Amino acid sequence: MTTDVVYTPNTYKNDLKPVWCPGCGDFGVLNSLYRALADLKCEPHDTVIVSGIGCSSRLPGYVETFGFNTLHGRAIPIATGVKLTAPALKVIVVGGDGDGLAIGGNHFLHAARRNADISFIMMDNEIYGLTKGQAAPTTPVGDKTKSTIYGNPEAAVDPCALAISFGASWVGRSFSGDVKGSTELMKRAIDHRGFAFLNMISPCVTWRGDDQHKQIRARLRPLPADHDASSRETAMRLTNEGGPITVGVLYENKQPTLVDEMLEVRWKAQGEKQPPTKADILQQYMPTF
Amino acid sequence: MKQQLTLSIVGSGGDGAVAAGDILSMACARQGLHIIKTEAYGPQIRGGESSCTVRMSSSPIYAQADAIDALVVFSWADFARFRNELVIGPEAVVLHDSDDPAPDEIASHPGRKIVGIPFAKLAKEVGAPNGKNILSLGVVSAVFGLPADAIRNALKNRFKKKTAAVVEANLKAFEAGLTAGAALSVGDQRLQYTPGTPMLLMAGNEASAVGAVDAGCRFFAGYPITPSSEILHFMSEWLPRIGGTCLQTEDELAAIGAVVGGSFAGVKSMTSTSGPGLSLMSEMLGLSAMAEIPAVVVNVQRGGPSTGLPTKSEQSDLMHAVYGGHGDMPRAVIAPVDVEDSYHATVEAFNIAEEFQMPVIVLTDQSIAQRRETLAADSLVHEVVDRRIATPEELNEYRRYRLTATGVSPMAIPGMPGGMYQTNGLEHDEQGRPSSMFVMHEKMNAKRYSKLDALAKKYRLFRRYGPEKADLGIICYGSSMGPVREALDQLAAEGLRVAAFVPRLIMPLPAADLEKFISDCDQILVLELTYAAQLYQYLRAQVDLPRGKTHKFSRSGGRSLGINEVIEQVKRVLVPSHQVEEVLA
Ligand SMILES: Cc1ncc(C[n+]2csc(CCOP(=O)(O)OP(=O)(O)O)c2C)c(N)n1
Ligand code: SF4
Ligand SMILES: [Mg+2]
Repeated sequence: MTTDVVYTPNTYKNDLKPVWCPGCGDFGVLNSLYRALADLKCEPHDTVIVSGIGCSSRLPGYVETFGFNTLHGRAIPIATGVKLTAPALKVIVVGGDGDGLAIGGNHFLHAARRNADISFIMMDNEIYGLTKGQAAPTTPVGDKTKSTIYGNPEAAVDPCALAISFGASWVGRSFSGDVKGSTELMKRAIDHRGFAFLNMISPCVTWRGDDQHKQIRARLRPLPADHDASSRETAMRLTNEGGPITVGVLYENKQPTLVDEMLEVRWKAQGEKQPPTKADILQQYMPTF
Repeated sequence: MKQQLTLSIVGSGGDGAVAAGDILSMACARQGLHIIKTEAYGPQIRGGESSCTVRMSSSPIYAQADAIDALVVFSWADFARFRNELVIGPEAVVLHDSDDPAPDEIASHPGRKIVGIPFAKLAKEVGAPNGKNILSLGVVSAVFGLPADAIRNALKNRFKKKTAAVVEANLKAFEAGLTAGAALSVGDQRLQYTPGTPMLLMAGNEASAVGAVDAGCRFFAGYPITPSSEILHFMSEWLPRIGGTCLQTEDELAAIGAVVGGSFAGVKSMTSTSGPGLSLMSEMLGLSAMAEIPAVVVNVQRGGPSTGLPTKSEQSDLMHAVYGGHGDMPRAVIAPVDVEDSYHATVEAFNIAEEFQMPVIVLTDQSIAQRRETLAADSLVHEVVDRRIATPEELNEYRRYRLTATGVSPMAIPGMPGGMYQTNGLEHDEQGRPSSMFVMHEKMNAKRYSKLDALAKKYRLFRRYGPEKADLGIICYGSSMGPVREALDQLAAEGLRVAAFVPRLIMPLPAADLEKFISDCDQILVLELTYAAQLYQYLRAQVDLPRGKTHKFSRSGGRSLGINEVIEQVKRVLVPSHQVEEVLA
């Protein structure tokens, strides 16, 4: 990297116009991401953004890095494959709450458990936006949606509570309307070594109502001044809060990542010895006694 | 003297029937004998009945024998479990423990030699209470003239991590067996052979894994499933040693996802699975086709649908492999015909995937994947196609999906300056940007499908056996090749003119070659192990099968196709007076 290269949010913008509805929270997420990438001086061609399917999953198309808009729910395994084969790349997963918690929930669990070296930015709008307004795993109980005409019979899940219990090594929450705060949290998530989960509360104005931004903003709370982010128990207390929504870094620790562990496996397997030749590999099938 | 010999050893968990078969096979491979070794197990996870069948021959063999010439049984109760699978030949030598006399229905054949030997007692006497399996090898070696020195060496090699006392006890058991065997009078049962150069002894799954490594695969992601897990095990052991990575994923959705991710990032990647896993992978294979990312899946067929027959072979994933998945989805399907070919087919799968940027399924089956076969030591060599990365000129105004004459577009990989693109499972334009316009969709479908034309022209992969012009032409694929090839030799000896066409590339078929074959044969017989005649249905859609002159034989898997079964089916067509023998036991 030469010193005279300047990284600004514009470095990462392309001329594709987002398909999102005016007022969609995802614009704020995108703007924060442009800023975070610029502040971190992420080299565009060394950055890969992978998404699933949903309104939110359209995001990689709008960022001038490598981008891959994949299948509903499958961004995390694809991103894991990218990171394991090309560890020098920055790998970021973006997508919706339906994508990451319903159809892709199992991958979320395992990426966190493995501490896969990716940051997962979930745009949580408490609804299925793209398919026009059905209930998501984050839709509050009782809410009427297109698929819960008589009120949602199921309890909602707090994605941060899941991430903490799945073993994620970094868990944060932010509101897309707060671009400045979100930029800072994204920077920390992207910079984190290991699996970072950032729950972006990102209102869907079309299916959750015009006043979502206002309602959510009123519920936001900063982290308690004495918050101990190294404790899972303390972090858990800031999930499923009911009324208030705490934003900030809820949980953070340092532990070996999936890439570290795979290097360790290579070391255990071969150490400093010369790698085996084909003849070495075939030896086990050859009666050479 | 015999030209070939098929021996089964049957026991329960601790008897070491399979270990004895392994030692014998390795010894014979050392002497350059041709071997096909199969195993079968009872339903228990551990310690149930097991059987091991070793076919030995001085000339090449292509399938397991229909009937066995020699049987070692430690307990008839265990044998009962395999009654439907192990057919005892009319002149077989049956060696059983004297403590457990042979049941009447087995002993009552006048041609058979039924011999009681106190296996357990003798083994105990020489101080090897766990060595009755090895003792039986001594008996077998004496009776059938199998190489005693090589067996001793194979035995020492097998037990090289055990204590000297254990090795010594087993060698004593072997000698005791030799003595006991030499004392028997069962006529001349010796196998005729001249020792040749040592051969590799390996299973199809292992050959596929070696092929993948040779092709340059350095990332494997998989989820355990019988009968494919040996590939995962191999990769787990060897990939880290050569600088690669093996990931056991949470399911097959993640396995094929990680493979697509790894390949997108520039590393040749593969997964392996069986039917249930292939079903889960369908959607992601569509993404591989749509985003034009090379991906290789080895699918080891077993009985289906659903959980089906996890440990038994069938050829019933064919339709899924060639047509499975939604949308118009070009893919290649390649089917190996034996163990050695599992190596070549896997390298070819990578070559095709890389050259045409599409998913490739290696469609093998349990019988090839899990049987051990001898192969020439130098047979595992195949030309490798490297990934072609976009050149600096192509990066000028780079378009990932540029429309080209071959349909193949320049591929950049993450980390390449100037190669940036945003791609999609959505239909997209040349740059990878989403588009739902009919015109673009049509253009891009045409681009993706044109790769199949180029592929079919370049890769005409098939085997053809028998006379140029034939009264009957058999069309089959995969593991059916073995019994068909052996049947052809026997039929030719009887004066019947029968040929066989075995496509290795199933999608796209080598259609011109197949059509030529069809026109060179008076009648056609399509032969396969699926109840629903999937190959026959597929061929009907792909080529003109002559009406009224095309016959089919398709039955459920669960037991491999027999050589005699093929002969019977041929005669059913060619010899009108022939009464087909019912082969179902
Ligand atoms: C396998 C599969 N099932 C269903 C769909 C349809 N689908 C597309 S997006 C989506 C849900 C989107 O919700 P979310 O992930 O929360 O994203 P949002 O649109 O709200 O940003 C569904 C069900 C699909 N594309 N693929
Ligand atoms: S439907 Fe909702 S989530 Fe989708 S773009 Fe519109 S506002 Fe955003
Ligand atoms: Mg949503």
